[in-house]
Amino acid sequence: MEFAAASQSLGALREAAYRLIGQATCQIDSVDGVHRCRLQAARSGDADLRARFLDLVTDENLREKLAAETGPTRNLILALAFGALATAADASAG
Amino acid sequence: MSHFQPSTAFEASDGELELLPFRFERLDGDQYLVSNLVGDMTFLSGPDLRRLAALDLAPDDALYALAFEKLLLRRKGQRAPLQLLAMRQRSRSSFLRTPTQLHILVVTLRCEHSCPYCQVSRRSTDRDRYDMSFETAARAVEVALSSPSPHIKLEFQGGEPLLNFDLIRAVVPFAREKAEAAGKTLDFVITSNLALLNDDVLAFCKTHDIVLSTSLDGPEDLHNRNRPRPGGDSHQLAVEGIRRAQATLGKERVGALMTTTEASLGRVEEIVDEYVRLGLDGIFLRPLSPYGFAVKTKQYAKYDSRLWLEFYERGLRYILRLNREGTYFPEFYATLLARRMLSDIPTGYVDLRSPAGIGLGALVYNYDGKVFASDEGRMLAEMGDRTFELGDLATDDYASIILSDKLIDLVGRSLTQCAPQCSSCAFEPHCGADPVYHHATQTDPVGIKPLSGFCARQKGIMTLLVDLLENSPEDAAVLRRWAA
Repeated sequence: MEFAAASQSLGALREAAYRLIGQATCQIDSVDGVHRCRLQAARSGDADLRARFLDLVTDENLREKLAAETGPTRNLILALAFGALATAADASAG
Repeated sequence: MSHFQPSTAFEASDGELELLPFRFERLDGDQYLVSNLVGDMTFLSGPDLRRLAALDLAPDDALYALAFEKLLLRRKGQRAPLQLLAMRQRSRSSFLRTPTQLHILVVTLRCEHSCPYCQVSRRSTDRDRYDMSFETAARAVEVALSSPSPHIKLEFQGGEPLLNFDLIRAVVPFAREKAEAAGKTLDFVITSNLALLNDDVLAFCKTHDIVLSTSLDGPEDLHNRNRPRPGGDSHQLAVEGIRRAQATLGKERVGALMTTTEASLGRVEEIVDEYVRLGLDGIFLRPLSPYGFAVKTKQYAKYDSRLWLEFYERGLRYILRLNREGTYFPEFYATLLARRMLSDIPTGYVDLRSPAGIGLGALVYNYDGKVFASDEGRMLAEMGDRTFELGDLATDDYASIILSDKLIDLVGRSLTQCAPQCSSCAFEPHCGADPVYHHATQTDPVGIKPLSGFCARQKGIMTLLVDLLENSPEDAAVLRRWAA
């Protein structure tokens, strides 16, 4: 399967390939602006493999988008949650 | 001075919509399970998930209300959702403030049973070699009481700990005295097959408020097949022991654990019935673990996660039916997970923690004074793998054990918040790192999660529980009662 590197991140392909471990292996080569994914099913006759991989890539693309959009908010929440503990630790150390 | 925000802080914001951090897992087809930062879950269709991610929402649509209710969304400028998520996250992680509540003393490795699935690789001879000495036990108590937790649980395990009951008899009052001096409270548990239980032991347990935890694998034929001993009377002795302990100590002071072997798979209803018949306070449907004789005798390899999940689901549905019909009888693993899902109470169960519960949740002191990060780590050592050995009571103290490079490395490497696939998993807020399991099965404390039986079981059980909570009101009421 081929994906245009301009519109498809390599990270999402790698994440999707990771989730396929056990069902298939996926070798990814990036050449001349194209990510080429060679899928090898763990069991012969796995007809749905391509569709499943595309679903996983779709999901990983969405996860990438969410992570980029909500990362700063996540950091803010974690700072609100645990920042006071760091202050307390600093105070007791000082 | 008022600690309330001014009224303007509670006014509706008219800022733009903004996503809050959330995660999702694809279920069958185009159906998703979505969870917010602290694990509140809901099912969404693919189109709804994509509409949410694109903020294609209007105040009059149901998804808009659901997204706000589940803290998946806020309006820019709204502070309350962030503060609420922060407070809940802090509460869920607060187990870190009272590290190492559980301390396990392996008072002997000897046992008179010869169970083929024994996960601790028991020994049958040589008292001098495999029994813990009082000096070692006393040192273990001192180390346990120097952990920061104000409340310590000491658990006596084996082998069969009643084979070294004289040591328990000496250690309990010693520990009580030391705990009083340290201003800490103590609980005691003896984990025993009860075959050697007698009036003397029961009287001691009564006097010192000791809980008994035993093994019961189900009906007589199944239990005796799983747990052979000379005379073939393990079940009879366990049942007699449970009844005597219930009569002397009270029903709430004796519990039992079962282990699922291949022979158990088709018999979950009978197993549950046996527990109900004996008046036990619930059941923990447990798979075999990949340690000790369970691996050597190939018991562990006889069924996979899929078969175990089928066993578990059938058992849980049967137990829920009993509860709906009026018998209060919890399944303890579902209870633990339901509590994680329905509240922000920090979990005491070390396998459902990240940072992992090894060392931080429990320490194990072996009969020879070696200290391990968990009971399973001790089991691995008996198989020749000392990855989770943290020190020796002869030379180490609590600080040197807990702050050892080895423990810090193992805990740091296995954080689910960072581990591949876990970090984006919708179940992560309720799950845990299990570095010992993944080391044992994949020689890697992180583990490749698509190949992990632990991961498959966790996802399977949690998906089942969310489905019951969302779509089966009567079962949800039972689960809520267990979790309360």
